[in-house]
Amino acid sequence: MPPAIHPVDLLRVLRHQRLTPAIVFLTSRRACDEAIGSFEHRQLPIPPTRSAAITDVLDHMIAEYPSIADHPLIPTVQRYGVAAHHAGHLPSWKIAVEELMRQGCLDAVFATTTLAAGVDFPARTVVITQSSVRKDRDIMELTVNEIQQLAGRGGRRGKDYVGFVVVTPSPYIDLGPIANGLTNHPEPIDSQFVVSYPMVLNLLKAHSIDHIQPILEKSFAQFQLNQRADAYETKLDDVETQLETYGQRECADWIAQWQSFSLAKKRRSHHRRKTQHDSPEISAQLAFLTPGRAVELSKDHAIVLRQYRSRGQGAPMLTVMRSGGRIIEYPASAVTAVIDEVIDVTEARRFPWCTPQSLNHAIETLEQFPARLRRLPIRVDQDGADNPILTETLRDEFPCPTCPSRPACQKDHPQALKLRQEEHRLTKTIHAMRTELWHRFQQHIEVLQKFGYLTPTCQLTSEGDWARLIRINHSLLITELIRMGAFEGINASLLAGVLASIAHDDDRPASFAGRQQALISTLGQVRKVAHSLSAYEEPPLLRLDVAAIVDRWIAEPTLPWSELIRATTMAEGDIYRLLARTLEYLSQLHGLRSTHPGLADIARDAMDLMRRDVLQELP
Amino acid sequence: MTNDALANQLAGLSVRLLHRLAKNRVPRHFRMGKNRLIQTLLELPPEQRAEVETALASLLQAPARPPQPPKPGKVDKPKRQPDAVSRPAPAEQPHSVPAKPAISIQALFEGIGVPPPQPFKPDDWQQEAIDRLATNDVILSVPTGSGKTYVAVEAMRRAIEADRMVIYTSPLKALSNTKLTEFTQIFGADQVGILTGDRRDNPQAPILIMTTEILRNLLYDAASGEIDMRLDTLGLIILDESQFLADRERGVVWEETIIFCPAQARLLLLSASIGNPDEIAAWISSIRSKSCHLIQHRNRSVPLRAAYLDPSGKLAPFFRTRDIARGRGFALHPETKRLFANYEDQTLSPRSKR
Repeated sequence: MPPAIHPVDLLRVLRHQRLTPAIVFLTSRRACDEAIGSFEHRQLPIPPTRSAAITDVLDHMIAEYPSIADHPLIPTVQRYGVAAHHAGHLPSWKIAVEELMRQGCLDAVFATTTLAAGVDFPARTVVITQSSVRKDRDIMELTVNEIQQLAGRGGRRGKDYVGFVVVTPSPYIDLGPIANGLTNHPEPIDSQFVVSYPMVLNLLKAHSIDHIQPILEKSFAQFQLNQRADAYETKLDDVETQLETYGQRECADWIAQWQSFSLAKKRRSHHRRKTQHDSPEISAQLAFLTPGRAVELSKDHAIVLRQYRSRGQGAPMLTVMRSGGRIIEYPASAVTAVIDEVIDVTEARRFPWCTPQSLNHAIETLEQFPARLRRLPIRVDQDGADNPILTETLRDEFPCPTCPSRPACQKDHPQALKLRQEEHRLTKTIHAMRTELWHRFQQHIEVLQKFGYLTPTCQLTSEGDWARLIRINHSLLITELIRMGAFEGINASLLAGVLASIAHDDDRPASFAGRQQALISTLGQVRKVAHSLSAYEEPPLLRLDVAAIVDRWIAEPTLPWSELIRATTMAEGDIYRLLARTLEYLSQLHGLRSTHPGLADIARDAMDLMRRDVLQELP
Repeated sequence: MTNDALANQLAGLSVRLLHRLAKNRVPRHFRMGKNRLIQTLLELPPEQRAEVETALASLLQAPARPPQPPKPGKVDKPKRQPDAVSRPAPAEQPHSVPAKPAISIQALFEGIGVPPPQPFKPDDWQQEAIDRLATNDVILSVPTGSGKTYVAVEAMRRAIEADRMVIYTSPLKALSNTKLTEFTQIFGADQVGILTGDRRDNPQAPILIMTTEILRNLLYDAASGEIDMRLDTLGLIILDESQFLADRERGVVWEETIIFCPAQARLLLLSASIGNPDEIAAWISSIRSKSCHLIQHRNRSVPLRAAYLDPSGKLAPFFRTRDIARGRGFALHPETKRLFANYEDQTLSPRSKR
C-alpha cells in the first residue's frame, strides 16, 4: 500500500463524490509543489469552458499584478484546475489563487498546514493528511485550536449545505489527535508577555517610573498570574489554619527551636560517627583481629593475615586465609566469631602479607584445627554510653532536652515542619507571581542604564530619546551600531544588506552566489557587536546570503525580479518577505531623521531603490 | 434450555452483551472473540449456566436499557467517554432506543449541494454584537467562517456614520491586503486607507487597515505626546485574529495594544474559537472603564462532517455519527478503524510498530 494517496487519485475521488472545491493541507511546501507537478504526469484535465473561466480571472489578476504573468504554475492551473498556495509564493500569486478559489474556478488548492492562519478562503472540503507539524525543528502534535482552524475552512456559508473534513493517512498521521481536535473544546490561551527594550523606553518616555508598575499590572500576563496567585492564596490560608493548631508552646517559635535542636543533635552525632563510625560490635572485635588470629567465617575457620580499611568508605576489612590456602578479602563484619587461638605469623608488606614460611605454617595449623574451638567472648560497649555526653553538651545551648513539652514537640515536629515549609514556599511563589513582571522590567532598566539610554533616575537620556523609536527585534544591537557609527558613510545597499541579515530569522537553508568583500567585513563587525551584547539580547542569525540578496537588489537598480530569483535557492515568497521586512527596518531608521539626518537619508535612498517591480505591487 | 437454543440466542447478541454476561464468570473473557465467548459460556458448570440463562432472559426482556456506547478502538484516547448510564443521553440518542448503528457512507454524503441564494439575515449573535458595541467592548469567539466579518463591517458603518474613525488590524500583511480589497468594495476607495511600516495609502480615510504592530507604535507615539494621528476621533478598534494573543513572539503586541487602547474608543476583538474567551473578557473588563461583553458560540453556520479516505481510494465515514459532536468524546467508525489499522499494518515496519 502506498504511504499516502496520490494527489491525482485524491482529486478523482473528491470530484466523484462532489466534494470539490477542496483545500488539501500537506506537510511541506515541496509536497504542495510536487502534488501540482504530478498532475502533468497523470493527465486529468478539466473541460475547456472551465479553463477559459480560469484564464479570464487570471488575466484580470495579471492586469493588477504583472508579476504573476510568467508564473510557472499558470499552465497547470489552467489545464487541471488545481493550484498550490504556500509561503514560498509571492503574495500576488497567493491573492490570485484566493480569487480563483472565491470565484469557484478551482477544484483543489494544495496548502501547507503551517500557514493555516494565512489561508483565508473557504472550500467545500478540507483534506487533512497529518496530525503533527514541524515547528522550530521539532515535530509537534497539532493542537485542538490548530485542527479546528484547518477544519474551519470547510463549508462555505451560502454556497454549501454541508462542509466536509476528509482525513487521509500519510506517514505523519495518527487518527486520535485529529478526532480529538475535531470533537473537543479548544485549549485556553495563555499570555506570552515579554518585556523588551523599546517597551521600557517608550513607557518611561510617557510615564514616570512610579507609574510603571500599575501599567504592567494591566497586562493579561499579570491578570493570569494574579488568578494563579489567588488560587495559591487560598491554599496558603488553608495551610495557615492548619498551622494554628501548632501555636505557641514553651518557646514562642518552637518549630524553629526544635528544628535547630534536632539539626545540632544530628550534626554532633554525625561528627562523632566520622571518627568512629563502625558499629560497636565491630569496633570491639577489631582490637582482636590482628595477623595470626583464628576466626570463624560462616561455619569455616580462617586465619587473619592483615587488617586494613577500604579506600572508599573506610570500612574495616580483613585479608584472611581460608582452608586450602585461599587468600580472600572480607569486610570485618563477615567474621562470625573470634577464636581464642593465635598462631605465629611474620608479617610482610606485600601479598600474601606474610612470609612464605609463616604462610605454610598457617596452612598446616589451619588444617589441624579441630572442628570446634573455643570462641573468645568479646564485651561490646553499648552506645547508650555516648548519649548522655551529647545531651550534656547540647543542654547549654538548647532548653529542649529538659523542656516539659519535649515529647509533644518531638511528636508534632515532622507535620508542623512540613506545614511551615509549605507556608514559606507558597508565600515565596505568590510574591514572585505578583512581582515577576516588575522584576523583569527592572532588569531591562538596569541594562538600559548601563548602556546610557536611561539616567539613574530612569529618565530617557538624549540617546534613549531616539532609541525608543527603534521598535523592532534586535533593537539594542541596532541602536548600539548607530551609536558606534557603524553606519556612517555606508552606502544604501550595504545598509540594507546588514539590516536584512539582522531582520531575517529563518534558518531555512539557502545559497546565493556573488558576495562582496565590503559586506563580509561589515557583517563581521556587526557579528562582533552582537556577540558582545549577547548577554542582553539574543544575537540575530546574521546570514551573509540574505544580506547579499538585498545588497544586490539595491546595488543593481535595473536587475529584474526574475533574475534575482534565479541567483538564489531561496523561495520567491521568502525573498519577498525578506525585502518587505528589510523595508520595515529601514523605515524605522528613516524615523530617526531629526537626530540622525544622514542615516535617515541613506535609509530613504535604500527604500526608494528597493521599492520597484514586485515590491511595488502591494502596499 | 438446550445447548443449541442457548447458542442461538447468544449468537444473536452483540459481543458487548456477551462480555457482560461473561463478566465474573469467565476468566479473561475480554480477550475472547465472539465465537469463543459463546463456546465458553456454553461450557460453564450447571449452576453458572443457570445464572447466565436468567441474565440472558432479563437482557432480552428489557431492551430499554441502552447498551453502552462502544469503547474506542486502539487509536483513540478520548478524555471523556460519553456514558449513557451516568449522563443524560444527547437528544438524538434517547434512552428508549438502542444506540444507532454506525452511519453508512451513503448517508454521510447525503445533501451535498449549493443552497439557493437567500436574502441575508444576520444571526442573533451578530446583531447582539453590533448593538453591544454601542456601549461596550466586545469579544467575539466563534468558529472560523461563521460571519465575524459581517459584524466588523456593520460596526465600521455605524462608527463612520457617527463621524468616528476606525482602525482595523490583522496579524499578517497578506490579510491586510485582502481586507483592503474587501472593504474598498464595500465602502469605496476614498473611505479606506492602509498603513504599513514604510508606506501610507490614504491615511486620512475614516477606515485604516494596519498590522497590530503598527497600531501599537501609533499608541506609543500618542502616549508620549507625538500625535501624528487623530486618535481623539478614534471610535473603534477592531483586532482581527485575536487568538494571536497567544503567539509566542508577537502575542505581547496584542496585549500592549489592548492596554493602551484609548478610553473613548470601543474595542472589538474577533477570534477563532478558543478555550477561555471568558478569561480574556474578564481581563479587558478589569482594565477598561466599560465592561467587555463576550459573545461566543460553537455552532458552525455550515455543518461539518468527516470522512476517512484510504490510500486505496476507499471512503468511509470518520465517526459513527454523521455530524461531528462537540465535547462529548468521539467514536470512530468501525470501517475507518479497520482501514486505518490495515494501513498501519502495511506501512509501519515491524520494528517501529507500537
